[in-house]
Amino acid sequence: MSEYRLPESFQDLVPYLAWSLPTDRERSAKRQSSTMAEINAFYQAMLPRMEEVLSYLALYPTEQVPPEVQGLLYLTLSLAKIAPAVEMYGEPNAEGLDTLRLVNVDIYPPRS
Amino acid sequence: MKTQVNGTNGGKWHDRYPELGTGPIPIEPYISREYFEKERERIFRKVWLNVGRLEQIPNPGDYFVKDLAVCNTSIVVVRGEGGTVHAFHNMCSHRGNPLVWNAKGKCKTFTCRYHSWTYGLDGTLRYVPDEKNFCGIKKDTLGLTPVAVDTWEGFIFINTDPTPRETLQEYLGEVGRSFTGYPFAEIATGSSAWEIDVNANWKVCKDAFQEVYHIFSLHNRSTGAAFAGKSNPYLNVHELAIFATHARISVPASLDWRPSPVEALAKRYGMLTLQKQNSSSRGMPAEVNPTGAPDWSFSGFICFPNTCLYVADGGFLTHTFWPLSENRTHWEARIYFPKAQTLAQQFSQEYSRATFVDGVLVEDGGMFEKIQSMLASGAKKEIIVGDEELLIRHHHKVTETFLNA
Repeated sequence: MSEYRLPESFQDLVPYLAWSLPTDRERSAKRQSSTMAEINAFYQAMLPRMEEVLSYLALYPTEQVPPEVQGLLYLTLSLAKIAPAVEMYGEPNAEGLDTLRLVNVDIYPPRS
Repeated sequence: MKTQVNGTNGGKWHDRYPELGTGPIPIEPYISREYFEKERERIFRKVWLNVGRLEQIPNPGDYFVKDLAVCNTSIVVVRGEGGTVHAFHNMCSHRGNPLVWNAKGKCKTFTCRYHSWTYGLDGTLRYVPDEKNFCGIKKDTLGLTPVAVDTWEGFIFINTDPTPRETLQEYLGEVGRSFTGYPFAEIATGSSAWEIDVNANWKVCKDAFQEVYHIFSLHNRSTGAAFAGKSNPYLNVHELAIFATHARISVPASLDWRPSPVEALAKRYGMLTLQKQNSSSRGMPAEVNPTGAPDWSFSGFICFPNTCLYVADGGFLTHTFWPLSENRTHWEARIYFPKAQTLAQQFSQEYSRATFVDGVLVEDGGMFEKIQSMLASGAKKEIIVGDEELLIRHHHKVTETFLNA
């Protein structure tokens, strides 16, 4: 069960907190291991709320994010990750390479 | 009268560059170990190669390591004390231990893990522990072996030829000039990068990025319709331009495309990596959108031998293909966009990442190993290259020039 909470106005998204994952690798793995029914349910729950969610998130700079806002951000990052499955493929994965073979690297120096 | 050679006769682009010839292209260069070794000796060890960008080493002491198997070496690229960029072979002068063991970092000096010999950021040997036991050692002759390094528009290039035949500016030539002035540094405050080793010849990978003819087909479930619309169903390009070494491609998008719901949300909060409609080339050098077309989407600087740089409105990206052997390649894909200022922009950029991974890395990458197997089967001896695939022919022609030099 996710450790994240959500801001007050987005409590309706609490049932989907399993998608609120902090790393790209976890979000990729969740997409790969979910059924299309699960992916669609998450997509359908998020989409109608996204205008409001993004207006809310647009107010926050990227540093020092309160934990419940972080939790909401991670939900949107998962939505970005699974959107192609719903909008393009009709199945969890794109056709081709296993995404877990791709190594996501950080080429810039860490922020001091 | 032109000889009829089975679908490879010419066409609008081939007719502009008759010196490239026409006809099928041999498969041998894609599968031969001997050919790979010739590419290594006569190309990779002689020319300027893009290894990164200045944003990776903003401050004195910042460094990154680049393993260049194709040049038989590993190099360290470091920002020196006064801001100068240095590059060295990653090898301690003592007994050959690689000086730096991690991929990137920051330091005041380089200290070898083996016996703690210590070098300045400029490569000079500063300190030898127990120096008295190295009778008559001349430290000033034992600095790190430098590698030629230079930059163009923030891109760092190295040349492992001890005496490079031409400067970086000379090497990049006309295509370099075409793209000079594009807002690279303004955009590259943020980057996402992926790496993967694929069991395919580096040219099999590069070829997919030298033509957009495949977009309508291979990417029909993802980006196909966004680019190849009703009026341009095979995504014929605005321009293919070839020069002595490098090439340029300018690509439209479909004005009929309507973004998907999540794409539309992402667009609201930032430019996507490959902008589709409503891209503007305002503020960019004229050659980036050479026909001034309103449906321009992105342009490519195909930088011989192994880097494809694509620029769009608000973002750019590179694909670099490092040969490991005749049938194995280390592929680096990097997208650059301004660092997100708000969480909504982070969402937008995550969508760019997701569609780039799916629509490019997964879809293109999935094929490469399968193509390599069939090329190696011997079932056929040649591949066919159509007019819109001119740049593939050009790559082989440029290679010939280097191999026969």
